[in-house]
Amino acid sequence: MNPISSRWTQRLALAWLAKLLMLASPALASDITPLLKDADRYRTGADNLQVETQVTVLNKDGSVDKERRYTVFAQAQHKSLVLMRSPAEAGQKVLMLGDDFWLLLPGSARALRITPSQKLLGDASTGDIATMSWAEDYTGSLVGEESCEGKPCLHLTLTAARKGLSYQRIELWLGKARHEPITADLYVLSDKLAKQARFILDKPAAPTMVTEMVLLDQLSNHKETRVRYVARSNRQVPEAWLNPMFLARNPALD
Amino acid sequence: MPPKSQPLKQVALRCALATASLVLAAGSALAADESPTGELRLHWDDRSPSTTGPLSAANRMQPGLAPPQADAGVAEAELRHTAHARLGGQAWSVGSQLLAWHERLNAGQSNSHARVNELHLSTDLGGWSMTLGKKVLGWDVGYGFRPNDVVQQEARRTLLSVTPEGRPLVEAEHFGSDTAATLVWVNPQHLNRSPDTNTWRARESALAGRWYQRSGTVDWHGFARVGEHTRASVGAAVAWVAADDLELHASWRAMQRHDGWSGAGASGAALMRSNPWGLQTLGGARQWLLGLNWTGQHQQGLLIEAWHDGTAPSNAVWDGWLARNAALQNSGAPAAAVSGNLAWQASPFDGASLRRDNLFIRASWQPGEWLCTLDALLQPADRGRIWTAGLQWQGNRIKLNASWRIYGGPADSVIGQLPQRGVALLAAAWAF
Repeated sequence: MNPISSRWTQRLALAWLAKLLMLASPALASDITPLLKDADRYRTGADNLQVETQVTVLNKDGSVDKERRYTVFAQAQHKSLVLMRSPAEAGQKVLMLGDDFWLLLPGSARALRITPSQKLLGDASTGDIATMSWAEDYTGSLVGEESCEGKPCLHLTLTAARKGLSYQRIELWLGKARHEPITADLYVLSDKLAKQARFILDKPAAPTMVTEMVLLDQLSNHKETRVRYVARSNRQVPEAWLNPMFLARNPALD
Repeated sequence: MPPKSQPLKQVALRCALATASLVLAAGSALAADESPTGELRLHWDDRSPSTTGPLSAANRMQPGLAPPQADAGVAEAELRHTAHARLGGQAWSVGSQLLAWHERLNAGQSNSHARVNELHLSTDLGGWSMTLGKKVLGWDVGYGFRPNDVVQQEARRTLLSVTPEGRPLVEAEHFGSDTAATLVWVNPQHLNRSPDTNTWRARESALAGRWYQRSGTVDWHGFARVGEHTRASVGAAVAWVAADDLELHASWRAMQRHDGWSGAGASGAALMRSNPWGLQTLGGARQWLLGLNWTGQHQQGLLIEAWHDGTAPSNAVWDGWLARNAALQNSGAPAAAVSGNLAWQASPFDGASLRRDNLFIRASWQPGEWLCTLDALLQPADRGRIWTAGLQWQGNRIKLNASWRIYGGPADSVIGQLPQRGVALLAAAWAF
């Protein structure tokens, strides 16, 4: 048997095993929620957050293609506000209330309703930056235990609970002992593999948080995007900040 | 040799820049929580004059009477800043946006200007956000045409997107979780002024209101406006995300009166001693727009909009206008008189829409930092059309634009008789 078919057979067996386990124990499907909550804690740590993010897009040769800075207010109940801080985009904002999105451009004083597809435009979609909670946004199951770079890890398959999410399916690998995120394959609505994500942790031996997410584009330009979480703090923003018409006033948001 | 007014303009420019600096300095003194941002831009506009139309005919009869708009190179500096302070327990903010530019025409002339696009003071009082000053306030949901943009009345479909000049206003806004209410008194300085060129259209003193309601995937907007001489108008707009890749929008407005072009007496070959065309307050009109916006998986987009603008001259007016153009050129009257009358025939080209019924189609593709666009504005009444192709590249700080617009259609179409046949634009912008 060649190595590829051997790997396929192994994966098929694992998938069947996972399904059999789920059938045998219905509780197992819901058991991944604690796993996802644990994984989310490495990325967020709270329901309401302010995250300063730096996004660097690298060319295939490793040279810097572009850099962007964002302030993300990730709030409970699937609400997020992304403020563009780089000179090229200064003043632009994206508001995400569940599956509803608005784009605000400086100078136009209008809140432009955009579709989930429009939200994906650009190298680092706002979904990559603002989606902080797998536990709230995805359901799924445990595929099984695998080996990630020589260490035991858990393979989860996740399905989006809402249609507006950037990625409708995620194959996620978590550390077996601490449930820290290791890698993820991100699939768009057409079930094409859009990006592969790798998570950089602060202390590999005893990790407490994800400091960087490395995204490798698999659909178009095959560039590498590094999403670095520069600072995180607990922050609940005023309700008006999540109203698109309020944001159209170009108010002070700090 | 610079024109005689140049020193005066330079003084005016220096005064404006000094004022701007003082405003910014004052703002900075309040609280330097955000650094000023802005953009430096260079662009070159290359215009090809048309060989058809009344202005072209006038220039053929009397060269230099109404020369076509010259090619120009323009350097612009735009500065934005918002400062915040707490005085007596009350939070205040001062927003400003300044624009200075130097224009060099290919004829060797040059001009310098400066303008305060926005300068407004804002605070919150009893649950209402209050603003006083000059501010950009854009409303409505369309791209190519916005019937309910009743305050700003921004020019649409420009080759280069820049911040418009704000309107003097007093504004009160209230925000709920899914609602917003806005009341505006725009152009209060023009209250009780008799209608003239300074108070037409967006310069009219008016009260305007907007109600916004979000209902899931739908944004609802209601509008009302009472103008000092155009009286009342009401409107509504809706934007609906119908699918992951499809947004639909619609806008409608009905008005008691409107400011529009009237050419009373401009018929046949009758020679007039003064321009018979002028903006006047005319009767009721309706405007509406229907549009869709589709975005594909490969970052391609399609925007289609159809609209009716009842404030544009009717087909009958344009028919009379065409007949007069022909009659004047065949009248055999002295060239000096005919050419002047022909040049005045170009007056009604200044309007949001030329024909009442329009179809706009825009295709775009946005791979990474590139944006390619191709759009067409079609006017079925006379098959006039405007094609525009654009290419944009956005880097970390630098943005490059190239656009090319062609005015076309049959020789007797209104668009085909515009003073320009085409415009090419090259632009570079550096953001800071």
